[in-house]
Amino acid sequence: MSVTNQTPATQSTLKEQIREFIQVQLAEPKGIASFTDDESLMETGVIDSLGIFRLVSFLEEDLKVRVSDEEINAETLKSVNAIEELVIRKKK
Amino acid sequence: MDFSWSEEQAAFRKEVIRFAKQELNDDLTRRDEEEEFPREFWNKCAQFGIQGLPVPQEYGGGGADTLTTACALEALGYGCKDNGFLFSLNAHMWTSELPLMAFGTEEQKRRYLPKLASGEWIGLHCMTEPMSGSDAYSLKARAERKGNCYVINGSKTFITNTTHGDLFIVFANVDPSKGANGVTGFLVEKGAPGLVLGKKLHKMGLRTSPMSEVALVDCEVPAENVLGKEGSGQAIFTHSMEWERTCILASHLGMMQRLIETCVKYARERQQFGQPIGKYSAIANMVADMEVRLETGRLLLYKAAWLKSQGRHALKEAAMAKLFISEATVQTCLDAIQIHGGYGYMREYEMERDLRDSVSGKIYSGTSEIQRVIIAGFQGL
Ligand SMILES: Cc1cc2nc3c(=O)[nH]c(=O)nc-3n(C[C@H](O)[C@H](O)[C@H](O)COP(=O)(O)OP(=O)(O)OC[C@H]3O[C@@H](n4cnc5c(N)ncnc54)[C@H](O)[C@@H]3O)c2cc1C
Repeated sequence: MSVTNQTPATQSTLKEQIREFIQVQLAEPKGIASFTDDESLMETGVIDSLGIFRLVSFLEEDLKVRVSDEEINAETLKSVNAIEELVIRKKK
Repeated sequence: MDFSWSEEQAAFRKEVIRFAKQELNDDLTRRDEEEEFPREFWNKCAQFGIQGLPVPQEYGGGGADTLTTACALEALGYGCKDNGFLFSLNAHMWTSELPLMAFGTEEQKRRYLPKLASGEWIGLHCMTEPMSGSDAYSLKARAERKGNCYVINGSKTFITNTTHGDLFIVFANVDPSKGANGVTGFLVEKGAPGLVLGKKLHKMGLRTSPMSEVALVDCEVPAENVLGKEGSGQAIFTHSMEWERTCILASHLGMMQRLIETCVKYARERQQFGQPIGKYSAIANMVADMEVRLETGRLLLYKAAWLKSQGRHALKEAAMAKLFISEATVQTCLDAIQIHGGYGYMREYEMERDLRDSVSGKIYSGTSEIQRVIIAGFQGL
């Protein structure tokens, strides 16, 4: 199921939370003002090697999903949309 | 929340201490001087089941949980004074067995884990290079796909277990344009064409743990020996570091306890100005601080190990445990020498070796500075 098929309320809340975390915790400290939901966050430098683990901690502690070791890669955690997709899949 | 070992764990701990005291201390001063790795101790530990502890039973291991494994390593650090040997054991377990367990294919796990768990093979990992240490992912080693093989070229330094090693986990970049996302892990067997052991390196401490440079000269590795996927080197290395930082200093906890007991005994016996030196608050305070450091270190390490045993990530907690225990151990060694006065400074008393061994804890598996960077990074700094 594509992300855009989710109910609007759930979708916006979850995506907003993910966006806000990445914006405030990872992008702003690096002086990156904006990024799109499809942008590859690793390629643009928003998420670096430490950022991945801060993101995983956020997903585990705040969004209550377990992320396996194999899922910690540039593909699964590529963009805001990809991360949202992962969380939705895990919560099912 | 439960802060006690189970009866089983406590009994196991006792048994490990008995084993270590009896079997793992012979001839240490000479071996330290001559930089000799005790292969026979390795075999004894394997028979006891140490190397197999974290490995699932289906792959020939003991299938112990993380806390039980940490408990065993702490007991080893208490009973065995050969910190170099224990370091080699740790490198084998955390940077070789664990990544294979997490990222290996079924075929790779069946091929290698039983050999590593039984101690028949010794594992190691090759990340650091002459120009890349803390900034590990800026490595220069390259791997190029050629048909059914990868051809690796590069040079590695400060690599532990090399001269006795059988399975090398080598990190190289398959696509430098992707930066860290091109870094890939390869399983390279001893004897692979182009895998060349370089200069033996002589260390300040941990001298019974072998270390050398490693060169990869058109080293051919079958494509099925990629660990994980192409580009997953970063995940593998971070996974190894998270485990290693959580558990590698468990044996330092045991070492600290041994030093405290030695100091207390000495402070009670040694008389100056007509009374035991332990009656002087300057000495008693040092012992008190040692005890606080030991207990704080335990709490940090057990917490990180508990998180890992729950299948959770613990990068920050592991960094805190590694940072605190490594620095606490150096201070405890210095205090132990101070309490023993001139005797403590003499090699015969064996504390100078503990000090030399402990200093590297602030460097390997990420320096203290890097651990602070990680911890501060979690605060958004
Ligand atoms: C006993 C021992 C065993 C080892 N075993 C292995 C092994 O088996 N396999 C392997 O691959 N490697 C191994 N290493 C290598 C080890 O991982 C590196 O030495 C370590 O990561 C530091 O790298 P470096 O020595 O190049 O120092 P550098 O990275 O050059 O650091 C030099 C100094 O600069 C500081 N520094 C660097 N970057 C920063 C920063 N961003 N912020 C603040 N300070 C910074 C460091 O903390 C340090 O004080 C081992 C090292 C030792 C001592």
